Amino acid sequence: MDLSPRNEVENPGEFRRKVHRNRRWAVLAATVVLIAAAGFITAQGLRNATLFFRNVDEAVEQRPELVDRRFRIQGRVIPSTVRSESGVTTFQITHGCVVAFVQHTADPPELFTSPWIPVVLEGQWVSSQAQTVAGVDTHHFQSDRMLVKHTNEYASVNEQRVSEKLPKGFLNDCAFEVSASES
Amino acid sequence: MTQVLGNKHMTATPATRVLGVVALVAVLLMALLGLVVSPADVVQGQAVRMLYLHVPSIWIAYGAFVLTSLSSALFLVRSSRRPDGGRHYDRLAGSAAEVGVVFTGITLATGMLWGRVTWGTYWQWDARLTTTVLLFVTYLGYLALRRLPADPRTRGRRAAVMALISFVNVPIVHFSVDWWRTLHQKASLSVGRRPEITGEMYWTLLYSTLAVTIVAIWLIVHRYRVIRLEEMRDEEALEALIASRLKEDDVQA
Amino acid sequence: MSEVTTVVAGWGLSFIVVVTYALWIVGRGKTVGRELGIGGQEELDSGSDSSTPADV
Repeated sequence: MDLSPRNEVENPGEFRRKVHRNRRWAVLAATVVLIAAAGFITAQGLRNATLFFRNVDEAVEQRPELVDRRFRIQGRVIPSTVRSESGVTTFQITHGCVVAFVQHTADPPELFTSPWIPVVLEGQWVSSQAQTVAGVDTHHFQSDRMLVKHTNEYASVNEQRVSEKLPKGFLNDCAFEVSASES
Repeated sequence: MTQVLGNKHMTATPATRVLGVVALVAVLLMALLGLVVSPADVVQGQAVRMLYLHVPSIWIAYGAFVLTSLSSALFLVRSSRRPDGGRHYDRLAGSAAEVGVVFTGITLATGMLWGRVTWGTYWQWDARLTTTVLLFVTYLGYLALRRLPADPRTRGRRAAVMALISFVNVPIVHFSVDWWRTLHQKASLSVGRRPEITGEMYWTLLYSTLAVTIVAIWLIVHRYRVIRLEEMRDEEALEALIASRLKEDDVQA
Repeated sequence: MSEVTTVVAGWGLSFIVVVTYALWIVGRGKTVGRELGIGGQEELDSGSDSSTPADV
């Protein structure tokens, strides 16, 4: 028994195979595109995701290897150190009791004004005499891209807490002194 | 859900119509709580309201992909023993995956908008964002595979295997923020960890998750029924074709 | 983009996506039901969830 559709098409079997083939090609093409997309994403991920940023203490420790290299640095902004002048923002960030002086040359995101906000900066070490709350440093971090790394803590504006909460003991045992409250 | 099998001509039953009304009311209340009643955040301001969409969406997507995986596993194990050849499991897997993809898409879109105002960027290839977009693409691939023409059993088996492979990424997405350094913050809701969200915001988030779950159930049930209708249509078309050919053969004889 | 614009865009977009998807499901159910030729147009209309897409 022949089950092929009987219609005006001269060669129904051939017609059906053609339709089938076209659909198969379309799905195959879509699959190839999807696999390519997955490959691209994985490559991007492997290159970037595993070490998205270095904390300030690590970035200072690895300075000899990092000089002249672009990388991302992460730390909390020390509120009392933020200055802004003709498009250049300078401030200091800290993590693990190590402080870095930052010169940033783009508009910071809105949340940057929030005290002790953790930020991720993209740029590189530049040799200079930088005065920080922890003393004089031989380099400052020249940044042109800032991302605010907000935490998973949420609190109502109605509460009396006005700044980003510092993790417990964040500034304990640090050799320098800054006020943990908003400056 | 099996009710539809004996109810050929509709995708709605009284029960799911009630579910639809409940979903509508739940979502309206969610909007009221999320957009009006809940407070602004001390750091993020109004932008925190994205939380009530973004977090429930990914939880629903995870849930949908769990359902897809369980159904796919049951299909592989039990299909030969079921009178319907396991097509119930196959339909459930397919409809849940589609709803999961929709909510993963919503998670990505709301996350990008939220990221623009908080991080200062729509996108960064950090571990969480990268694995999430990979999850989206993988399940899109799964849905594409389901459309490849093949007999139902072969297609079901292929899809089930792909579903189980795709699921490997779900825990990776969830724990990526703990395993790697990411721009994305740690999980907002975790089992066994005190939430770092104050009262009203926490309850709004939990309630939103419930509301979005009801919507997702409505979607999965109806999508399941549409797949069932499509299968019935294909079967009927085949039966009609066989009948007409038999008749023609009779006439010719 | 301001915080409020972002929230409106995010919620608006999500609602549009879900409602469109729900409408598509119901519409597809109707179309396939019609193709199946089971029940008349009236029965299909009363049987399907014409009110539910707005529900979600």
